[in-house]
Amino acid sequence: MKTSQLRETKNYIVWSRRGTRTLIYLVLILVAIVMLFPFWSMLMASLHSEPQYLNGRGYSLQSWTELFQSLPVVRELLNSTLLCVCSIVLILVVSLTAGFALGTLRFRGSGLVFLLVISALMVPVQSMIIPEFVNLARLGFIDQYYGAILVYAAVGIPFATFLLTAYFRRLPEDVIEAALMDGLGYGKIFVRILVPMALPAIATIIVLQFIQIWDDLLIGLLFLQTPQLRPITVGLATLSSQHGADFPLIMAGSLLSALPAVAVYLFFQRYLISGLTMGMSK
Amino acid sequence: MLFAIPVLVVLGPLMFYPVGQTIYHSFTNWDGSHSQWIGTAGYSALFHNPEFVQVLENNARMIVAVPVAILASLGVAFLINGRPRGWKIFRSIFFLPTAISWVVIGYISVSFFQNYGILQDTLGKVGLGFLHPDLLSHQGGALIAVMITFIWALFGVNLIIFLAGMATIDQEIYDAAKIDGASSFTVMWRITLPLLRRFIQFALIFSLITEFSALFSLIYIMTGGGPAFGTTTLEFYVYEQAFSVGNFGAAATAGVVLFAIIFIISMIQFRVLSGDE
Repeated sequence: MKTSQLRETKNYIVWSRRGTRTLIYLVLILVAIVMLFPFWSMLMASLHSEPQYLNGRGYSLQSWTELFQSLPVVRELLNSTLLCVCSIVLILVVSLTAGFALGTLRFRGSGLVFLLVISALMVPVQSMIIPEFVNLARLGFIDQYYGAILVYAAVGIPFATFLLTAYFRRLPEDVIEAALMDGLGYGKIFVRILVPMALPAIATIIVLQFIQIWDDLLIGLLFLQTPQLRPITVGLATLSSQHGADFPLIMAGSLLSALPAVAVYLFFQRYLISGLTMGMSK
Repeated sequence: MLFAIPVLVVLGPLMFYPVGQTIYHSFTNWDGSHSQWIGTAGYSALFHNPEFVQVLENNARMIVAVPVAILASLGVAFLINGRPRGWKIFRSIFFLPTAISWVVIGYISVSFFQNYGILQDTLGKVGLGFLHPDLLSHQGGALIAVMITFIWALFGVNLIIFLAGMATIDQEIYDAAKIDGASSFTVMWRITLPLLRRFIQFALIFSLITEFSALFSLIYIMTGGGPAFGTTTLEFYVYEQAFSVGNFGAAATAGVVLFAIIFIISMIQFRVLSGDE
């Protein structure tokens, strides 16, 4: 092969690589536009007043001021925060102790309890929510924060327990044996050794549950019907029926409600991803 | 043993008991407070009800969206897996809808598909205005709009599953294939895809379960199950029967059918995932 020919083939390879790379970026950018465009259009819509939105001209912050002045969004954001924090604490307490019992101690019958937890994992919320509603209504738990918190916990605990049991199983046993030799009780071993070791799994559960509870509609809709108690997602869902089709207002509310979950997502993406893949590995 | 008590105390009355009640009441004519045993009459009434049959058909039709969602994610996963510069930014963008509630996604979708919405607007601007796709106002169109939204929202989750799968593949296999002169297409077809089988199966099951049991809020916002029963899925039907119609018995029966479907899908998942090792 002559040198000129060689150079030509080399050029061809370089060019085709560059071509593929350009093509890859083209596809990726196209998909990115498809994924981001809705957010952009939300932002743009929220920056109009309703008449401006309808005739497509002019910008204003009217929708945003209306959102804060005439709707209880701040209250709703606080409600969502309270519900998330309390439910997550309850989920963690229950699933950490259960994970310790099922993953580390493995008492007689723990296999059966684990099977129960797994089967709870398969229950669609819709298949238990109606009797749940009737039962809690009978106890007077509707329109009480704790009623909704209990339901969020019951829905979140199976996966959290499953995750922590799998996590504790993988921890080396000699750590616990050594602690037992040192005369530590199970309670102390749990609090001082195992809980600190489970921090990455705990972070995963917090992020997953925060997004799940923050974004929930059904449970809030049923169990918190008083406007003063309802979380932001429920407030947002009732907006369209109350305000007709005031789209700029709805879009402003949507953006506001999405911000906390998106912030959590951006900062703790790592844990969300590991939670997803952990759910698959076992 | 003591440590296992809290989980049983919470799940017992708040999960297992209501599931049992759902199953029991699927054989009664429950109205929320009173109930009478009617045996399997509720089931035969439900399956002879054209509304309910349409609901099951809606769920079945929506399954079409699952392979689309998976193939799109799989294709992009191959592109990103080469780790082109900035791939992490792309991954974050693609995964973003995962953090967004179905309520917000529903509103976005309405603004896009509704009459005189963004879709029509855009088509009008490029001279295709005559198409006038008013999807949400007729049954078939509304279901398609829900499916497109579902695919959009699930794209990122499946992508993450595939990227995690590709990360488990040993780089040496690729190097060996390259030395043997395999083209990148052959590598993809003969090496990566077979090694990803488990992950593709997981994505399939995950998407199916989402389709059957996690789209309530999306449908609530986008269509309210309509027009007529055009976009009512099984889980939406359960809610409607109980809280709009007040027919708690039928809701329980439909709830058991839903549970049975999810149970079968989950069982397939366990078989598949454990049978492979």
